[in-house]
Amino acid sequence: MSAIAADPDAPATDRLPVLSPMLQRLAAERATGALMRDRGTLYLADGQVVHAESPATPGIDVLLTTGGTLRHEGWWDAVAQAGAGRRVGRYLVDSGHVPGGALELCHLGALYDAAFFALAPTGTPARFRYGVAHWIGPVRPVPVAAVERETLRRREFLDRIWPDPACDSAPLLRTAHGPDAPVPARQRRLLELVDGVRTASDIAQALGRSAFHILVDLRRLAAAGLVAAVRAQPLPAAATPRRIPLPEVTADPDIALLRRLRDALEAL
Amino acid sequence: MANTEASLKEAMSSIEGTTGVALVDYTSGMALGTLGGGKDFNLEVAAAGNTDVIRAKLRTMEHLGLKEEIEDILITLGTQYHLIRLLKTRGGNGLFLYLVLDSSRANLAMARHQLKKIEAELEV
Repeated sequence: MSAIAADPDAPATDRLPVLSPMLQRLAAERATGALMRDRGTLYLADGQVVHAESPATPGIDVLLTTGGTLRHEGWWDAVAQAGAGRRVGRYLVDSGHVPGGALELCHLGALYDAAFFALAPTGTPARFRYGVAHWIGPVRPVPVAAVERETLRRREFLDRIWPDPACDSAPLLRTAHGPDAPVPARQRRLLELVDGVRTASDIAQALGRSAFHILVDLRRLAAAGLVAAVRAQPLPAAATPRRIPLPEVTADPDIALLRRLRDALEAL
Repeated sequence: MANTEASLKEAMSSIEGTTGVALVDYTSGMALGTLGGGKDFNLEVAAAGNTDVIRAKLRTMEHLGLKEEIEDILITLGTQYHLIRLLKTRGGNGLFLYLVLDSSRANLAMARHQLKKIEAELEV
């Protein structure tokens, strides 16, 4: 995708797009510290990714507490007891708050989720601070190559479902188009939160689900014509002259279908 | 209580005829852990592809109005069995265990039973 080429520290190559040459260098020199990029931070230890955070994704605390795995008090107890020693993860398991398997999976989920956003194309240069460690502490380190491979797979996966990223970051609204087929329960809960104001990240926070999962469901809902991004009203002068203006909301399903087709073709 | 790696190892060693096992996040198709497989059987590709199998079945059930849950899915090939076991997680995240068995060595009833036991120990 052309979006990858827009990343200044990721020059476009024909076959293997490099998400961040800086990250690869740090992996090669087995660096420890925090790689801060525009949309998130990757924490490295000995050149492996040990944690990741992004403002676009719910943190591991939200994933653990909203799902009911852990009570809020349990989380704050662990932060108070083990935060300073940077061993919160270990403490949660040792104190019996969270089963080891559950913590590991939740942590991996949060890591890959935040990494997907942190490694998104950006115009801002990345910075690395050596020696910085995250307070969650050691859980399960992941090789940089695995994180990059998974991030690329996720981008392709989203584009296969529905090639228009408009719904990924804008406020969302429900279209007038009714569902042609029953909407799965999980997508229904998501749809209930679509109110013209919330974005994908807001919904992920509210449901305590990983933001990438929300993007997957949103692209499916967009493909079914049930959800659309709120488009900023274009100024008359800024409007593209060649495009024939269509009403944004229409009750006619044929028009809705044609508009979705047009959007999909444009996004190709 | 077991971590994921221990559970995958147990599946590999205790279930007769197992040639590969993966723990997969159903929504993203990401393999959270794999063991076995090899050059001629890429478990990560299998993991991602089989999420479509589950999704198709779930959609059909929605269409039919069935209010049931999938416990497992069995796919029988010429020389292999592929067993998919959906896990009940506390966080509500869809996960499944994916097991590849050599059909000449495997005992299906035992394999299903043991996979159930591994799920119980995994505590996710």
